[in-house]
Amino acid sequence: MVAARLCLAKPAAGVMTMRHCPAAGSQATVRGVEGSDALLAARLAAGDERALAEMFDQLASSVYSSALRVLGNGSAAQDVVQDVFVELWGHPGRYDPAAGSLRTYLIVLARHRAVDLLRSELRRVARQERHYRLAPPEPAGTASDEVMAAETASVVRAAVQLLPDGQRRVVELAYFEGLTCREVATRMGIPEGTAKSRLRLAMAKLESALDRQLLEST
Amino acid sequence: MTAADWDPGALPAGLRERVMTASLLARGAGQPVPAVPAISATEAFARAADAFYGLLAALDERDWARPALRDLDVQGLTGHLIGVEEDIQRALAGDPAMAGTDHVASTQDTAIRQAGRSPALTMRDWRRAADRTLDQARARGGTEDGGDRIAVHGIRLPLDDLLVVRAFELWVHENDIRRCAGLDPSVPDPPVLRLMSDLAARMIPYAAARTGLRDRVDVHLVLTGPGGGTWDVTMGPGPDGQGTGQDVAIVTDAVGFCRLAANRTTPAELDSHITGDAGRAAEVLAVAATLALD
Repeated sequence: MVAARLCLAKPAAGVMTMRHCPAAGSQATVRGVEGSDALLAARLAAGDERALAEMFDQLASSVYSSALRVLGNGSAAQDVVQDVFVELWGHPGRYDPAAGSLRTYLIVLARHRAVDLLRSELRRVARQERHYRLAPPEPAGTASDEVMAAETASVVRAAVQLLPDGQRRVVELAYFEGLTCREVATRMGIPEGTAKSRLRLAMAKLESALDRQLLEST
Repeated sequence: MTAADWDPGALPAGLRERVMTASLLARGAGQPVPAVPAISATEAFARAADAFYGLLAALDERDWARPALRDLDVQGLTGHLIGVEEDIQRALAGDPAMAGTDHVASTQDTAIRQAGRSPALTMRDWRRAADRTLDQARARGGTEDGGDRIAVHGIRLPLDDLLVVRAFELWVHENDIRRCAGLDPSVPDPPVLRLMSDLAARMIPYAAARTGLRDRVDVHLVLTGPGGGTWDVTMGPGPDGQGTGQDVAIVTDAVGFCRLAANRTTPAELDSHITGDAGRAAEVLAVAATLALD
């Protein structure tokens, strides 16, 4: 189907004539709506499921690609794509056409969702590693779970390697070896307060470094 | 799959269906956001009456004498509306004579009688007439099927639809008066506009039947802005009738579409975005313009 703007000449002698106006790029022609992205958003707000399908066909590839670069995992990237489109469908008013294109908006949204997902996964992996040290091993998860966990863990470990030695060691002992702050302090021969402050600093740097690294990679 | 081995042109199989399903579970197709509070048809008519009365109260002496519509000045147009309320009340009371009366001819005497009267008296009489209509409508109460069918002025509609038609008329004439008094046009509040948009969309097939549309057209109508929504309506002969259905999508703003349905703008003046057969879309808009909900 071809989108066209209707231009109807004034009725003359009861006969209505019609011509196609040359399309002004992708400009919308609905009152109060400027531009094709704004028109798509207005259609979404009106509950037009065809607009959602059109948007998916146009932009899902970019959204998926963006999420995949951050997560490195196709299954997780699909979750992000679903989250992003459900979010847009549920709250089209959060997109401001004046602030940028819909494509940019969705890609940024996908990156944020992917980073959130990754952080959540990192916390899960860290918790899991601590748990393994305290509890007997449970039956293995699915192959895809293990691949996901391995990939995310490797990203974390790489980021940890970039920390200053003192902070890196604290993180390794606390998160990878499962020691308490007191135990870390004893092992390193430093006051417990120093261990805690190094851990806080390290976590702040890790979050910042991971964000930057992830965003740069996209 | 990882980023390194992904083909940018391809999406995982089933992702589209999965996203569409999840989205439509979160919000059904056709449901506008932000959601508009549902109000009854009686409430819509009451709000339209209040808006009309508010305008009348703001007019000065000279405004009442301004030409408003056909051969009527503002006071005469208000008199016409008094006559309409009286006819509606008779129809609600079960008077079968109201079914075939003409909307303009049957109210013309009441309209003309306003000449020479104080505008304050005309305004008072209109308010009382509108309130009587509201009292009768409320006395009947709401029903799931929209209420008994009421026949008046050549139409036969469930009470709820009739009240929305009346809200339409009051809004349209309010804006007729605003225009001649040099005031900015008004827009119904979203819950009222939503009911008006819905009524106009649902009535298009009847208008198409009246105008004798030759071929079937499946219309995907998207009305943007507060009070809008999405409707799928089929016009023309049914699936077993002549011709094959053409799929046409029309996107326009809800207020503009209601103005079209009220015969206050033309398809040529209506900003719209069309997908599908432009000729069929033009036919649909021309049919909508014959609804004449004024």
